[in-house]
Amino acid sequence: MKSINLALRLIFAGLGLISFSLQTHAESDPSKWPLVKEAFFAQRPMADAPFITFVAPRRAESGAQVPLEIAIDQTQADANAIKTLYLLVDSNPIPLTATYHLTDKLGKFKLATRIRMEMDSYIRAVGETADGKLFLASVEIRAAGGCGGTVDGDENAIRAAAGKIKMNVESPVKFGDAASATFIIKHPMRTGLQRDLVSQGFVPAFYIQKAAFTYNNEPVMNVDFGVGTSEDPYLRFNFIPRAPGVLAVNAFDNDGKEFSHQAEVKN
Amino acid sequence: MLKKIILGITSLFIFHFALAAPLAMESLGNGVYVHHGVHEDMSEGYHADICNVSFIVGSKGIAVIDTGGSLKTGQALREAIRKVSNLPILYVINTHVHPDHIFGNAAFIQDKATFVGHEKLPDAMERRRENYLRINQQWLGDTFAGSEIVKPSMLVKTTANLDLGDRTLLLTAYPTAHTNTDLTVFDHKSATLWTGDLLFVERTPSIDGDIKGWLAVINELKTHEAEFAIPGHSSSLKDANWKKQLNDQERYLWTLLNDIRASIKKGEVMEKAMSTAAASERSYWQLFDIVNRRNVNNIYPGLEWE
Repeated sequence: MKSINLALRLIFAGLGLISFSLQTHAESDPSKWPLVKEAFFAQRPMADAPFITFVAPRRAESGAQVPLEIAIDQTQADANAIKTLYLLVDSNPIPLTATYHLTDKLGKFKLATRIRMEMDSYIRAVGETADGKLFLASVEIRAAGGCGGTVDGDENAIRAAAGKIKMNVESPVKFGDAASATFIIKHPMRTGLQRDLVSQGFVPAFYIQKAAFTYNNEPVMNVDFGVGTSEDPYLRFNFIPRAPGVLAVNAFDNDGKEFSHQAEVKN
Repeated sequence: MLKKIILGITSLFIFHFALAAPLAMESLGNGVYVHHGVHEDMSEGYHADICNVSFIVGSKGIAVIDTGGSLKTGQALREAIRKVSNLPILYVINTHVHPDHIFGNAAFIQDKATFVGHEKLPDAMERRRENYLRINQQWLGDTFAGSEIVKPSMLVKTTANLDLGDRTLLLTAYPTAHTNTDLTVFDHKSATLWTGDLLFVERTPSIDGDIKGWLAVINELKTHEAEFAIPGHSSSLKDANWKKQLNDQERYLWTLLNDIRASIKKGEVMEKAMSTAAASERSYWQLFDIVNRRNVNNIYPGLEWE
């Protein structure tokens, strides 16, 4: 898996260079998607998904923290219920930004996050059903400069603060209805593409890989993060608490560290 | 083929014409000259000439303060200098890392000028190099031709003095504020302070550093002895007016900070704050909708951890 990741990274870094020399006007390049699609979903058919929608800026104010909301207008009872949602940014050096594993505890999926964008790009949400059918929704965002970025500050302080979590559920909660949860985890989310000015190489990737959410010990959602998710990964999502209880999260970084947090949901 | 040749000759002609056209300078007397850029945001309608570029003439030589957003702008500045004086160009000072202030540097390599900046400037330039080159190429196309990153060799950690002959410039470096590379220049002889983008006038202040650090620097500048100030953009400021502008900027930054803090406390989302934070300041500033939204986007995620 690691070598595939590396190979993909090199391929896309190469694509980035080619497009740099051709692209003089800022606009998203539609020719990248067939390559990204083939790399991640080789040979598989993909249908349009009008039931997957975005709320996104036309032009992102900051490429480092682009707010993006994705909603799926169906529940897990639907015949073509989406079980896994892949979020990809065509023009990023590493396109796969996050993978969301859905459960019926989410109700109708609605999630907001913040992503990195290196340049103008199409954003793809690819939904996968239990039997492997794929559905695609796209949105275009103009943005710049979110991936290389600045790695600055005191390394010890950054490491010490990494993994601090804030999580809360918006009150009042009406049990049985959608409630809104917000999760933020302090982490530099280093891409592995940022320059190390001392060694003249690259600063190693250092990022949150996974967050698993449960409510009263039952799975709500698992998220696999890529480095296209912004520094201090942010998620705001709906879930359906049926009774008072505890929303819990376990998060892991690629150094093998685990971070946990709980939020109580009361009457 | 003939068409191509004619086109080539025409473009050569245009290129040389552009080289020879000096920037329009305002003479402030006392050997101080400023060119005022126009108000454009970098993401829309940008032509690499939006900031103030200046030069100061001493008895031994000349110091340049900021060089514009392209080699072309830097060359036009150099032409303007040569209309005034043939003394050597000794120093090229960058007030901070932003591309609209530094990409004319290369025009002064031929002068063997000493490039001067904040101690963190070379590092900041290196980190931003790839991105700055790519997006400025996108924004400017041919206008950006020949522009490159030229780093300072003389670094200012706290303060430094530059001698131009019969006048001394005091350079002061600041902790992270507008950016992490902010530097001011004070010319004792004309009692003029170049604030770089530590002071915005008319144009909405943009934050690429630390809003709280910036507010601290504003407090420090309030007691500065300068009688005149030249901000990073907009007109030169006389007398007490520059302190008033400093207060206006402070008011904007505090309003923004307080509104964002209130939004976070209420459990709102960043996207909402991007439309509402500091809305009461909207009528006072140019480019407000673009820059204020970007400010919120830049600083909101950090303030969530206060």
